[in-house]
Amino acid sequence: MKILKLPKEKLDFFASVVQQFGEVHAPVEQDGQYVFKRLNRWSEARLDYNRTILPPKKYFLPQREVMFRYRPEAGYQPETEGLDKRLVLFGVHGCDIFALNILDQVFAGQYPDPYYQARRKNIAVIGVRCDPDEHCFCRSMRADFVDHGFDLFFYDVGDYYLTLVGTARGDDMALATSPLFQPVTQADIDLYKRRSWAKREAFKLDIEIRHLSEIVEMEYHSGIWDELGERCLSCGACSMVCPTCYCFDVTDDVELGSVAGRRTRTWDSCLFSTHALVAGGHNFRDSRASRIKFRYYHKQRGFVAEYGRPSCVGCGRCIAACPVHIDITEVINQLRGLLDARSQ
Amino acid sequence: MSATEKRILIVDDDADLTAGLAFFLEQHGYTVLVAHDGREGLRLARMELPHLVVMDIMMNERTEGLFTIQEIRHTPELKNLPVFVLSALYEQVPDFRIAPEAGWMAHDEFFHKPVNMPRLLERIRLRIGPDVPKEVPA
Repeated sequence: MKILKLPKEKLDFFASVVQQFGEVHAPVEQDGQYVFKRLNRWSEARLDYNRTILPPKKYFLPQREVMFRYRPEAGYQPETEGLDKRLVLFGVHGCDIFALNILDQVFAGQYPDPYYQARRKNIAVIGVRCDPDEHCFCRSMRADFVDHGFDLFFYDVGDYYLTLVGTARGDDMALATSPLFQPVTQADIDLYKRRSWAKREAFKLDIEIRHLSEIVEMEYHSGIWDELGERCLSCGACSMVCPTCYCFDVTDDVELGSVAGRRTRTWDSCLFSTHALVAGGHNFRDSRASRIKFRYYHKQRGFVAEYGRPSCVGCGRCIAACPVHIDITEVINQLRGLLDARSQ
Repeated sequence: MSATEKRILIVDDDADLTAGLAFFLEQHGYTVLVAHDGREGLRLARMELPHLVVMDIMMNERTEGLFTIQEIRHTPELKNLPVFVLSALYEQVPDFRIAPEAGWMAHDEFFHKPVNMPRLLERIRLRIGPDVPKEVPA
């Protein structure tokens, strides 16, 4: 992996030059929170942000998208508009890149999703190092660093960014901006190592995920789910802001008086009362308790069985977004505590 | 506004430069619009649909013009608008050594400040033609 060094005072020029690789989007402050959006000028970018309201998944799996249109005389016509649009996502945190790598497994695995894949191909990702706040627990979820899934990754080392080149496109970006870079020194590497260790020690939240999938399985009938069901509003906010929740609903909109129409997919949530509602009116998860249990079960247990690790990356968005302050780290600690109490 | 009127938008934070250049271009028959930052420039461009833009780079921010040009390129009704960059970027930031011809700047032509006015006029004429009102048959 190629490693370079970019002086911070040249970051604006770097961002200007990489516009040739696509429209530059970055975290921008909005009403005291942060959102990824297109930059009108470099000063709008806030690389010191804690977390964006919505994760970068919104670029790869939009909240709502038309998949294809159908018309008797033309048959099925895939919707391709916008799929080839080139973007540069600037300032993505490591946990969110980790989440994209998880989504890659879902949408580029056994059932490849051409919409997701086209966007993943056309959207460049530039990562940036971050510091944990009171909701971050990515270290606990082993998602506090990434070694792939980005084109470039910027590590803040004082007056410079150590820049890791992750892909051929990242290398092209570095080549296009090569006069801005400087050689890496041993002092930079030493500082990088010190900062890396300091971040490790800076987390305020810490949970233990060893044996978690078994514990979730063992506690399937625990009363904790009923307690959570009493509190949970089934609003689905946790799913919407989650960087790895990928459920979507599919609907057909048929034109009046015609058999022509379009098929659309929209973000869905397993917390919604209609998520497990099937034809005939039966609902496999008709209580809030069963739905919130399902969410934990899928992310911490089902995903492990399917892909080898929990799908949670510890970004803390669900903690920040929950209107009734359900905290995943408390739930997990409670689950572990119940087990400990019984084992005594 | 005549049918053959050619409108040029100048976007530059230097009021002396915009006044001088506007006067010069108006003397040669062009209709000139002036904005002093990228945001205002974009607003005017969307509203007036000029035939050409003369754009500074370093305004409120030193890369403002570069982002404004990109926004022009991503605006459907403006994406083919010729953009002439007029900048002292390479003089003011000597260690920025990426040439404008390297393909990264979405401009059409680059002019170093201080600009050679007759040369700029010649290039504008070549790009959008002279602004000579023609007789319209009754």
